[in-house]
Amino acid sequence: MNKIKPPIVLTSLLIMVILGFMGCEKDDICVDGTTPLLIVRFYDVDNREELKRVPKFRIVGIGQNTTVVGVADRTDLDSIAIPLKVVENTTGFYFINNSMDVDVEDPDGQTIQVEGGDLDSLYFNYNRIDKFVSRACGYIANFDNLSGDLRSETENWIKDIEIIAPLVDNSTEAHVKIYH
Amino acid sequence: MLKYIISSILFFGYLLGFSQTKPIDLQPKDTVVHTDPYGIRVGIDLSRLLISSLKDGYTGLELVGDYRLTDKLYVAAELGNEKNTKQEDLYNFTTSGSYVKLGVDYNTYGNRYDMNNAIHVGGRYAFSTFSQTLNNYSIFDANRYWTDPDFQLNPDPNATNDFAMGSNIPQEFKSLTASWIEAVIGVKAELFANIYLGASVRIGYLITNKEPDNFRNLWIPGFNKVTDDSNFGVGYNYSISYFLPLYKKAKKLEEKKKEIEEQEPIEEETIFPENP
Repeated sequence: MNKIKPPIVLTSLLIMVILGFMGCEKDDICVDGTTPLLIVRFYDVDNREELKRVPKFRIVGIGQNTTVVGVADRTDLDSIAIPLKVVENTTGFYFINNSMDVDVEDPDGQTIQVEGGDLDSLYFNYNRIDKFVSRACGYIANFDNLSGDLRSETENWIKDIEIIAPLVDNSTEAHVKIYH
Repeated sequence: MLKYIISSILFFGYLLGFSQTKPIDLQPKDTVVHTDPYGIRVGIDLSRLLISSLKDGYTGLELVGDYRLTDKLYVAAELGNEKNTKQEDLYNFTTSGSYVKLGVDYNTYGNRYDMNNAIHVGGRYAFSTFSQTLNNYSIFDANRYWTDPDFQLNPDPNATNDFAMGSNIPQEFKSLTASWIEAVIGVKAELFANIYLGASVRIGYLITNKEPDNFRNLWIPGFNKVTDDSNFGVGYNYSISYFLPLYKKAKKLEEKKKEIEEQEPIEEETIFPENP
């Protein structure tokens, strides 16, 4: 009977080892992709091939209390990456040229600071496309049929908008050109 | 009188010695024929039954069977149906379908004559047909500018900084198929007469995998989890089965084989000349 035992023990061990390996799985951390950001570049309206920095640029999402995270505030910039709303088909931003704080008196006589720069409201309209990336990431959004809608004022500092990539599926190439 | 008796014994004793015509065989051949039962074995996977009752979102059934072909070789098959719901970080899906696995098992275990246990290695070809239902999903976005309530002027008091809901309308992807090959290693032990308890582990390698548009076959009935960038999968079962003996066949012994090999050519030579 002793002769019989070693193979059974060996096989049971092998089964246990294989079951142990089943517990090890690929890391479930998403590294394969994310919802892309909209890349906007600023060009000279007089020389449409030339990039032109916006002095002391500030950008605030409409309905938000903070500047867009990831964009350097009140800095001379010619390129920005901004997030679009996933749950809506429209995202609005205040594009502020030459941003500064200005002291004004409110009706109560208190001195408060308000934005003193040139402020233009620009809305982006699009259709969302949900795209499956991987097990860990699940779905991300891409944006198609991108269009820009500038709310006109007496004098906009943004002179012209050109959509060069209506499908936003990456954060590496420019999607929108803004001339000023 | 005593003299006559002693003389008779000596005389007849001499005859006794003569009557021993054959030499005494000190190692007599065992003439008992050992037989092995041959037949069909059918059973059910216990692990799938147990998980069905313990785990929410899973129901599964697997029938197992094999048929003994030769001393060591069995034709083996598994037939199953599974429905499994998985909650991943940002999505939830249900896979539902059936599978069949066909192949052979080779018993590597040398049984004593009255034992029918097995330590087997084998292979299977498996095919599954199934559907995937994407129950709901959120959109992964590394940027939280629009979703974080701290950044909003008038945030919804109930809002949490969570990923945006993509859809919660179930979406079904039908008529999906996959096929794979499996390497099997397992044991079967006879608990009581004709009742066997078995366990096996399997490593599968996906050959074909028909995937839906804009989703992936992350779980396949019979194959289990499909890992990103890999065709390998693992599975196991614990079966209880009943063996239905159909006929008995003499157990092949190596010595007997040799004898048969030696005798057969002579028989053939003697038989053929008789035929006109």
